[in-house]
Amino acid sequence: MIKITNLQKYYRTEEVETVALNNLTIHVKEGEFVAVMGPSGCGKSTLLNIVGLLDDLDEGSYLFNNIEVAKFNERKRSDLRKHNIGFVFQSFNLIDELTVFENVELPLVYTNVPAAERKRRVEEVLEKVQIMHRRNHFPQQLSGGQQQRVAVARAVVNTPKLILADEPTGNLDSNNGNEVMHLLTELNEAGTTIVMVTHSEHDARFADRVIRMLDGQVIMETTTF
Amino acid sequence: MIKNYIKIAWRNLRSQKLFSIIKIGGFAFGISICLLIVLFVKHELSYDKFYPDSDQIYRIVGVANRDNVILKGIAMPAPAGPTLKEEFPAIEAMGRMLSNPLFGAGSNQLSINENPENFSDNGFTYIDQSLLDIFALPVIYGSLAQALDKPNTMVITLSKAEKYFEGDPSGKIIYLNNNKDRPYTITAVIADIPSNSHLHGFNFFMTLSGIDFYPGEQQNWVASNYCTYLKLKKGTDIEPLAKQLTKSYILDHYIPAISQAGMQVNPVLSSAKLILQRLDKIHLYSSDIQDYKLETQKRGDIKTVWIFSAIAGFILIIAAINFINLSTANATRRAKEVGVRKTIGSSRKALMSQFISESLLYSLISVFLGIGISFALLSVFNNLADKTLSIPWNEWYFIPTAISVALILGLLSGIYPAVYLSSFNPISVLKGNISSRSGTSTFRNGLVVFQFVTSIVLIIGTLIINQQMNFILNKDIGFNKDQVLILHGTNTLGDQVRTFKSELANIHTVQHVAISDYLPVMMDGSKRNGNAFWQEGKRTEETGKGGQFWIVDKDYLQTFGLNLIAGRNFNSDIASDSAMVIVNEKMVKELGLKDPIGARITNGTTYTIIGVVEDFIFGSLREEGLQPLCLAIGGSNSLTSVKISSNNIDKTIMDITSIWNKFSPNQKIQYSFLDEGFAALYNDVRRTQNIFTSFAIIAIFIACLGLFGLAAYTTTQRTKEIGVRKVLGASIAAIVKLLSKDFVRLVFVAIVIASPIAWWAMNKWLEDFAYRIDIEWWPFALAGSAVVVVALLTVSWQAIRAALANPVDSLRDE
Repeated sequence: MIKITNLQKYYRTEEVETVALNNLTIHVKEGEFVAVMGPSGCGKSTLLNIVGLLDDLDEGSYLFNNIEVAKFNERKRSDLRKHNIGFVFQSFNLIDELTVFENVELPLVYTNVPAAERKRRVEEVLEKVQIMHRRNHFPQQLSGGQQQRVAVARAVVNTPKLILADEPTGNLDSNNGNEVMHLLTELNEAGTTIVMVTHSEHDARFADRVIRMLDGQVIMETTTF
Repeated sequence: MIKNYIKIAWRNLRSQKLFSIIKIGGFAFGISICLLIVLFVKHELSYDKFYPDSDQIYRIVGVANRDNVILKGIAMPAPAGPTLKEEFPAIEAMGRMLSNPLFGAGSNQLSINENPENFSDNGFTYIDQSLLDIFALPVIYGSLAQALDKPNTMVITLSKAEKYFEGDPSGKIIYLNNNKDRPYTITAVIADIPSNSHLHGFNFFMTLSGIDFYPGEQQNWVASNYCTYLKLKKGTDIEPLAKQLTKSYILDHYIPAISQAGMQVNPVLSSAKLILQRLDKIHLYSSDIQDYKLETQKRGDIKTVWIFSAIAGFILIIAAINFINLSTANATRRAKEVGVRKTIGSSRKALMSQFISESLLYSLISVFLGIGISFALLSVFNNLADKTLSIPWNEWYFIPTAISVALILGLLSGIYPAVYLSSFNPISVLKGNISSRSGTSTFRNGLVVFQFVTSIVLIIGTLIINQQMNFILNKDIGFNKDQVLILHGTNTLGDQVRTFKSELANIHTVQHVAISDYLPVMMDGSKRNGNAFWQEGKRTEETGKGGQFWIVDKDYLQTFGLNLIAGRNFNSDIASDSAMVIVNEKMVKELGLKDPIGARITNGTTYTIIGVVEDFIFGSLREEGLQPLCLAIGGSNSLTSVKISSNNIDKTIMDITSIWNKFSPNQKIQYSFLDEGFAALYNDVRRTQNIFTSFAIIAIFIACLGLFGLAAYTTTQRTKEIGVRKVLGASIAAIVKLLSKDFVRLVFVAIVIASPIAWWAMNKWLEDFAYRIDIEWWPFALAGSAVVVVALLTVSWQAIRAALANPVDSLRDE
């Protein structure tokens, strides 16, 4: 599903050029659950942003479902993103002015799903993450775990092929963290590909494969079973 | 999608009440001021457009150039109109109007058979029947067709008919100034003249038919008193016609008449010409016509229309800038939303339409709120501008216009914030960094500087207008205007007015009494005239010096505190004093009299000068310099001036009233005060002053709202910096200074730009005044420091809040 070959990414300021990702090659198959680990600054978030088409790459090739997307413009990337990729962030990133229901509904709004269909699908996914009873609350009225469950619901409501999670349990206690990990596992078992950046060895154990990075390069890949 | 946008906008609006109030309130306020000014300008521009064939109706204006001063006048000789009509077939109709109080126009004492009491009323004017035909005023009672054909006929307006009569007053009689020998018959009643007609203010139209104010007056080409209107045939070429009229008027009639009268032809005539002023131009383009002020109506000025429109535009721009600044200031709050939406798949276009629809919502609310505010402020504004404007609720265009204005404003002020907000990079905003790009901050700073330039110009303008106003009102005018009571309508006492005067003089708190229609202050009932003066014997050699000839009595100088600097006052014991005159210094200078006492001067009749008074200002301090003046003894009885002492004025007025009642039991006493009349002369200046002051306050208020927004924005942007500085030991004062410095710099830039603009504009404004102040440095310094102080207060509120915040909060995000 994801074939990244010889990826180079630089960050430039006026005087310094830093290499963020150096000659990186990664393949992710459909249905896989991959964890990316490494110390702060190793480039794992940058990688996730590039995979998620939020950031562009300087050199190399990126095939998403066998389509070369490395040179896609902003509009094409956003189009591909909204139909295929869901995001889960460490800090949840729910929109404070929208209710739980409306937050989850948003991706469907952007893909022009009719209102009745939207309602059905949002309710379905809210049931799944067990937050249906809070559907009319605003994010600030929820606990961290509940907020992240809403964020997961939002990520999957469009039934994306790929979910990208950036330290999804980083702001949660272990109970809530486990719940979220179980949710992700369930989704993976249902066929969704997941790429997750994490610091937690415990969370990494949920993944099929762990990619370890250092200084913008992959240093080790392990398969857990 | 739109529903979602509006929902977010609405929740944003509610969750940030203060911000929303400032944003919408400021915008609405600006819009309301703008709407009021638009109503004002619309009314000014609507003058005289409603008369049938108004595009064919013209007024004759004489123009001449004397020593590079353009002289304009509308007074024409009595025979000019009829003669030109005879000579030029392009003139379809001609009608004249005479509104000079000297001949009984203006205000009069009015009585009717049904009630012997006299009422002082105004708006009297003489017109030709043909003028009624030209204007085709809507008739209520009677018929206008031959209403003024016969002598001593009169057409009145409906409100006056209702004031004095019940029902149709046609055929009823009106007496003026108790003159039973000349009863006026009302022949028709017309609707009140609309407020947007230059004829507004006229209520009694007396016929010119059968009138000869003195023998031969109607054939006299040398005296000019008639305003003359022409109705031209459709498609007449104006310029060539005006040239032909000029030629006929000056060469064929005026110059021969002057020569026949044995007078010198004034060299000014070589540059003189007639121009035709179209009816709808009369209201706004007549402020430079010198003799037009004789008429009762308020004149407008195209300059005021321009200035007001400019101010409206600037206030609207300030308000829109505010809106833009406050919207971008809100960026940090919205950044996360932008990031999330982009991540989820929103395109930049979708985000821009979201932000633009938000500003459309805001601007719709603001426009309708603004209309509400204008409605609330309308009476205040009407008072300020001396108008009776109303909001055109029922007009078909009102709501569509309001909505289109809202859409345009929303679009214009929404585009920049939309472009700015939608440009955020989702990765960095979700990490909590909003990059401040120097380009955009220059743009915003430019907007702020613009706001303050406008405010500072308005403040300086206000200060200088105030200074000029005080200068005029406190200027040494050369006469004493205080504690002078003016009794109106004393001509109705007839011959008894002398006895009345001596009884008044016996009241011990009355110091002096003078009978004269010519007051030093040009107020209701007071008269002015135009005369030409020569030294005796020079009449055929030189052109005369224009000046005033006032009929007064022997107590005139004392009553008004005029200062006699040479010779003696009038003395009733000296019988020959009726051939004696007192002149002002200006007359002595103009006629070049070396030894004025005993010198003889003539205006047709020859007089001997017995005294010279110090120059005093009897014109407006604005329009004109001083004129030569000649005072002579005689009878002009409609006004009696009483100089009273300052103690127990109420008792004095009661005493005067009881004497009046003895002489005129059927009629109420009518009086006014000279100083009030004087102050009323400058009502329009005071109006400008008040309007400017209000505008300046509003502009600076709205500008400060914008500054507040920008300060809030910058402060949030620099939260991290502030945190780091505090951790490193910066004091609160140091941080406030850090944050305020940049804004104060902007204000200084604004002062530098605004000062020359204000100086230039106020110099222009002052040019209209004959007596004016010099522009000094202090209004500039004062305006500058006021704005700096206000700006500092606005910014430091934000800065102190930021400085007091716990640094840990701002640093934790990392």
